[in-house]
Amino acid sequence: MPAIVRVVDLVKNYYMGTQTVNVLKGLNLAFDEGDFVALMGPSGSGKSTLLNILGCLDRPTSGSYFLGEVNVARMTDDELSEVRSTYLGFIFQSYNLLPQYTVVENIELPLLYQGITPDEATKQWCVALARMVGLGERLDHKPLQLSGGQQQRVAIARSLVNNPQLILGDEPTGNLDTRTSIEIMQMLRELNKAGKTIIMVTHENDIAAWARRVVRLRDGRVESDTRNDTRTIVELR
Amino acid sequence: MTALEFSLFSPLGLAVASPALIALGVWCYRWLHRSAPGVKLRRSLALAVKSLWLHKLRAFLSVLGIIIGTSSVISLMAFGEGSMQDALDDIKRQGATNIIVRSVKPPDDSATAQKTWVTTYGLTRRDLERFETLGDSIVRMVPLRIFPSEARYLERFVNARVIGTTPEYADIHQFDLAGGRFLTEADDRDRKNVCVVGSEAADKLFPFEDPLGRSILVRGSEFTVVGVIRDRMPTGGTGGSQAAEEFNRDIYIPLHTSVARFGEVISVRTSGSRMNEKVQYNQVTITVSDIDKVRPVGDAIKELLEQGHGAKKDWAVTIPLDKLEEAERAKKRFTRLLVMIASISLVVGGIGIMNIMLATVTERTREIGIRRALGAKQRDITLQFLVEAVVQTTVGGLCGVVLGLAMVFVVPVVWDLIAEEPLPAKIHVPSIFLSVAVSIGVGVLFGWYPARRAARLDPIEALRHD
Repeated sequence: MPAIVRVVDLVKNYYMGTQTVNVLKGLNLAFDEGDFVALMGPSGSGKSTLLNILGCLDRPTSGSYFLGEVNVARMTDDELSEVRSTYLGFIFQSYNLLPQYTVVENIELPLLYQGITPDEATKQWCVALARMVGLGERLDHKPLQLSGGQQQRVAIARSLVNNPQLILGDEPTGNLDTRTSIEIMQMLRELNKAGKTIIMVTHENDIAAWARRVVRLRDGRVESDTRNDTRTIVELR
Repeated sequence: MTALEFSLFSPLGLAVASPALIALGVWCYRWLHRSAPGVKLRRSLALAVKSLWLHKLRAFLSVLGIIIGTSSVISLMAFGEGSMQDALDDIKRQGATNIIVRSVKPPDDSATAQKTWVTTYGLTRRDLERFETLGDSIVRMVPLRIFPSEARYLERFVNARVIGTTPEYADIHQFDLAGGRFLTEADDRDRKNVCVVGSEAADKLFPFEDPLGRSILVRGSEFTVVGVIRDRMPTGGTGGSQAAEEFNRDIYIPLHTSVARFGEVISVRTSGSRMNEKVQYNQVTITVSDIDKVRPVGDAIKELLEQGHGAKKDWAVTIPLDKLEEAERAKKRFTRLLVMIASISLVVGGIGIMNIMLATVTERTREIGIRRALGAKQRDITLQFLVEAVVQTTVGGLCGVVLGLAMVFVVPVVWDLIAEEPLPAKIHVPSIFLSVAVSIGVGVLFGWYPARRAARLDPIEALRHD
């Protein structure tokens, strides 16, 4: 399978006054299309920084980041926005829904920045996604009227609305209880089975166990890169 | 006016300003849509209205400055315009192509008075002949010979102003006849004893009868009433040497009749003292063919009078056009002052908007981060906040227009009750368009910085913001 994401000698430095903080120290990683990856590591290991770069929210200090065939490491802000809008889907720890919008409007949001005029077809598509995540009865609810698990499901529906090539999760179950976490992970598993590539950051082994592949970072370098075997996954279920 | 003055209110100013404004608008639009289709603007509009609706009171308070600014511009302009219009109408009634030459009694003329007991001064037939030399540029000259006198009919009398003049008087003054006719050439040529009376004089002398055809007595001579003039607006004293004039007690007789019946010397009795004056013409109104010739002809007339009268300053030249331009200059100055006040209040309003927008941006940092993560470009964020600011100021400007127009109708009523005098108001249409345009401009100007600040936020930082 071709690598959908490839980072080569990825370096990220932060400058705090006169001090330079070396966060990523030359990462080399490749993720295949259809993979389900968990990024792990202690705080300060650089996993969030890597996710931000993978999510085109940040640019590396040096090195390359190939998304498909394209090196996005040196793209302008506008081009990165376009990449996020077209190829990426985000799921955040704190859901990050807009409180003034309904479920359907929140799901629709990424389409607005693709220059698509919302019409009946896009509306139907958003409703279908809401049904898929089990919120068919709550289309016109505002996020604050929903539970945490329901909000995260809206966020998942939103991350799918633009048919992304890559879904990025930043501790998607971090704010949820165990039972709801399992629901969410099952949902992500289904998506992965349907062919979506997912990369998520987590610090819980239970959650990482749902992934096919676990990459551990420490001090800006890859510490380990293992594949979960299929049996363990089934057992955990 | 020789120099072209630049003013936003003049047609030239508007002609220059509107393409500039349109160009600015197009530039902003292009900047925001370098790569996106135009539907975005409509969507941003809906978005802006929605987020403003969430904070109705805040939005209202933040545009209060704009509302007050616009409404005061519109109402003050209307009242200023109304007062100015009054003054201008007054001057126009005197005729812009006219030059008024009047006889003035010299302050120190004891020499002639002592010798003859008759004061001789003022314009003479010779002066008029000299004016004739100016040729074609003069269309007509209407001399007036004015003296106060009592007029009688039966036991009734009125203190009138007897004015000897020519039929052309009717061409330079606007008035309507209630009945009969004005003086004619034949009346003047034949020195007929006919007169035309003003409305008040007619009412006093003939409360019950039809004045036409009846005879009134003026200084021992009988005059047949041939016409009655309808109620006329008095001219206000518009500064300078031009005094206010009341026409309704005038009695008009042919000029030649006046000289023939009453002689050259007019005695006026005023509470015990007697004054004899020899004045041929009290006033000559000269109409010039073209408005551009008013000033040169006026200068020529002054020169002729200086030659003819020497050191004796017993004449005065009034050019209504001068006063018209003076009044228009005053109006322009007033307008400019108002524009300045307006700009101050609109700048203050704009700062209010900027302040609130900056607070909004901080408050919605998280939202900005989310939108950026979901694919919004910097430009989309700029557009969102800019449109929000512009929607606020535009709605504020329109509210200001409505409030201002309401004030134009309400304030004169209140004014009339309190100050017991009318407050003329005339709605100044360009000020409406201009203040709305300026409100929109203020929105763009003061919304730009907060909007850019919102757009330049680091998406990662913004997402982390609580």
